Amino acid sequence: MQLGLYLLRRIATGIPLILGVTFISFLLMVYFGPDMTFELVGKNPTAEQIAQVRIQLGYDQPFLVRYWHYLVELATLDLGRSISTGESVRSLLAETVPVSMALTLPGFVLGNLLGIGLALLAAWFRGGWVDRGIMAFSVIGMSISFLIIIIAFQVFFSSRYGINYFPVRGWDMRSLGSYLYYVTVPTLAIVFVSLGYNTRFYRAVFVEEIGRDHIRTARAFGAGPVAILGKYVLKNSLIPIVTRIMFSIPSIVIAGSLLIESYFGIPGVGKLAYDAVTTGDQPVLKAVVGATALLFVVVLILNDMLYRAVDPRVALK
Amino acid sequence: MTDVEAPTQSSGLWSRAWRRLRRDRAGMAALLVVATYFAVACTVWLGLAGQGWSALGADSFAPASAEHWFGTTRNGQDIFARTIYSTRVAFEIGLVVAISSTLLGALFGALSGYFAGSWIDETILWVKGTLDAIPFFLFVVAVAYAVQGHPLAMHFAMIVTFWTTTGRYVRGEVIKLRNMEFVEAARAVGVSQASIIFRHVLPNTTHILLVQATIVFVTAIKAEVILSFLGLGVQDGVSWGLMISQSTNEVTAGFFNNFIAASVAMFMLVMAFNFFADALQDALDPRKVEEAS
Repeated sequence: MQLGLYLLRRIATGIPLILGVTFISFLLMVYFGPDMTFELVGKNPTAEQIAQVRIQLGYDQPFLVRYWHYLVELATLDLGRSISTGESVRSLLAETVPVSMALTLPGFVLGNLLGIGLALLAAWFRGGWVDRGIMAFSVIGMSISFLIIIIAFQVFFSSRYGINYFPVRGWDMRSLGSYLYYVTVPTLAIVFVSLGYNTRFYRAVFVEEIGRDHIRTARAFGAGPVAILGKYVLKNSLIPIVTRIMFSIPSIVIAGSLLIESYFGIPGVGKLAYDAVTTGDQPVLKAVVGATALLFVVVLILNDMLYRAVDPRVALK
Repeated sequence: MTDVEAPTQSSGLWSRAWRRLRRDRAGMAALLVVATYFAVACTVWLGLAGQGWSALGADSFAPASAEHWFGTTRNGQDIFARTIYSTRVAFEIGLVVAISSTLLGALFGALSGYFAGSWIDETILWVKGTLDAIPFFLFVVAVAYAVQGHPLAMHFAMIVTFWTTTGRYVRGEVIKLRNMEFVEAARAVGVSQASIIFRHVLPNTTHILLVQATIVFVTAIKAEVILSFLGLGVQDGVSWGLMISQSTNEVTAGFFNNFIAASVAMFMLVMAFNFFADALQDALDPRKVEEAS
């Protein structure tokens, strides 16, 4: 009961955010976006046909009415059809979202786990050469562009100038073997590019926690490094960790990796959105941006719930 | 009163920060590298170097030689000239985006912090939350779609999304500052609100703005590479991003000059800037300043 009330309140506070995000995407893609009339009329249209399509597109309606229609479209998931392929946008999303998730999830999980591990190591040996070495490598890793990493990895893993073992382009998830065959190089690139940022972020969190009195007490009682780091530091740092991971979810699931997908020719949401820009496919683009924003609000709410699960002191206020 | 006190206090902070920065060897080395890059960009601005970046005519894929230091591209363009010229493009993008988004962040962060809890604050927080809810690359895609190939679409998208972090930090700092005695004193002697915010409160957040500007600068240069590859970045001219995306067709044929030249040039600048930003943050950290004094 209390939980239900809390959820309702939380969803209510999410409404201004949803309105804001949908308003921006409406402004950019529908209101200021290119005129779609000539995408829809046939060849050699008469003035009447043009006028008819403009009415169909709602160009004769006032601003707020058009925004309202856009909101209704999103709310009822009536996302229309892709202009370039004629497929319904809903089924396009249903096909591409799982691909993007399968593509980015392994790299995301590994990148965070490795980052947490390295950060624990650095924080434990704070100020020593281990710490300085890890932090220097993090900054170096942060300084290499994602694109450079992808190209270099592809030359190394997928061309005759390197070990030439993995494919250059493409995607296949029908069996575990083929999945691993296609996902390995993108995963390595994702881990490499995120590791520096993750390590730096988590180290700052852990250093702060290690400096607290209860850790000093635990040390005084003779607790070993594994017990201190695993039981006291990691557990008490769960809130920032959960926050960081939760807030990365929208960009992983829907924004996918625009760059990875278009470079490796993988049919995920990122490539869908990118192709939609190049071909001017407004219904698809509208749906992707709108859906990502909605997902973000959901994540915001879930994040608060997780706080409570992780830290009983956080009440459902 | 504040007029007399403020300069001595701020020069104290700045000279201490400078002393600490000078002791930081990695930070100073990084600053030297950045300064060198800036000097190169200036020579391009003055028309002294890199002017032949688009000239065709040399052999395709010529190896490095005395005439073409880094060899040539598929089209026979001099890679060295292109790398040098791109330094200027990188600084232009970095400076425009860093300065604009820092100013925006300072303005909205200060207003939001000074009027914390009021409708002004609520509105600014709402706009900030909205912008943060759209993943950056998706936002760029949407902007690119809306303005269809406008040369400043990339700059606009970066400025609009990058100011929010600066704004959040400034807001937090201003909330702390607005309850301090010097603000109360200014209010008591009848200084106008605008003057309190922009002449008394905001100058005290300069250390945050400076560090944020260096971070945004680096982020902008890195984003340019990816956006140019996607065809949403630099439209005409040359940049490290365009060079790298051009090189994707060359590395498969075994020609790495273009890729390596652009990658190394960009990596060195970004790394130096990252180290410098860290050193600057350490030097300006008020907690450490208090310890030292």
